[in-house]
Amino acid sequence: MSRLEDELRQALRRREPPAGFAERVLARARQRQTHYPPLFHWRWLAAAAALVVLAAGLYFFEERRRRLEGERAKQQVMLALHLTGSKLRLAQQRIQRFIGPGAAFQN
Amino acid sequence: MTVPQAIPSRKSGAPAAMAIDEADFEALVHEHQAMVFSLAYHFFHNEAVAEEVAQEVFLKLYENLHRLESPAHVAFWLRRTTCHRSIDWLRRGSMRREVQLERLPEIPESPQAADPLLQERLRRLVASLPEKPRLVVLLRYGQDMDAGEIGRVLKMPVRTVWSHLYRALAVLREKASRYLGEEAV
Repeated sequence: MSRLEDELRQALRRREPPAGFAERVLARARQRQTHYPPLFHWRWLAAAAALVVLAAGLYFFEERRRRLEGERAKQQVMLALHLTGSKLRLAQQRIQRFIGPGAAFQN
Repeated sequence: MTVPQAIPSRKSGAPAAMAIDEADFEALVHEHQAMVFSLAYHFFHNEAVAEEVAQEVFLKLYENLHRLESPAHVAFWLRRTTCHRSIDWLRRGSMRREVQLERLPEIPESPQAADPLLQERLRRLVASLPEKPRLVVLLRYGQDMDAGEIGRVLKMPVRTVWSHLYRALAVLREKASRYLGEEAV
């Protein structure tokens, strides 16, 4: 071992903390315990928050699915109405051709 | 060596947490306070900051008592947490202890310099190293740990530990060579 390493061991040897260190730590730990709920409460809170997030996610997912289904149904109805209108116009044109102009005023 | 080679870990299917109550916590503080405080003190070279960091580490221990599995795990956990909290403290800007080596006050050259002066110089030099090499030196010479243990505490490969150690020693040897009576590397 070099002298440097030897001196480093000496220089970095353990030091005792200032007097009353342990008491200050224990006082802060007790203070923290009275100010904050125990850890398991935090666990329950975290679990509840996760459940709320999950429920909200499911709700929004279901809402979106319903909205998309509604839009699809609306498009189908519009298409059906469009087709029906076209057919009716075609039928009307044929009838008018078959009867001839002014037929509606005969009789 | 104070820390056993095998560090118990819950991930590896190790035994369940130790049953520790508040009286045991007090005993743990008394048992490990010198180790935690020394590590923080030599990292910052400042007693007030070291006490604050050491207190934070023990409060963290108090919150995590239920996770610790054995006395060896407690010692390992305390060392690792002290290292992390010290780095956090520096990075938060609470204290900037990285001093340019060139700016350190010179100690009058004297071949028969008293050891306390040399050791104070070394402590200042160590405290001026970058974070990771500083921790490697502190764990190696302050906590008497081998490279494998240091690697586990700092989560770095053993080769990186050696690399930090060699480079840090080279810097320290160069800066302190006049007082050590050794040839600079």
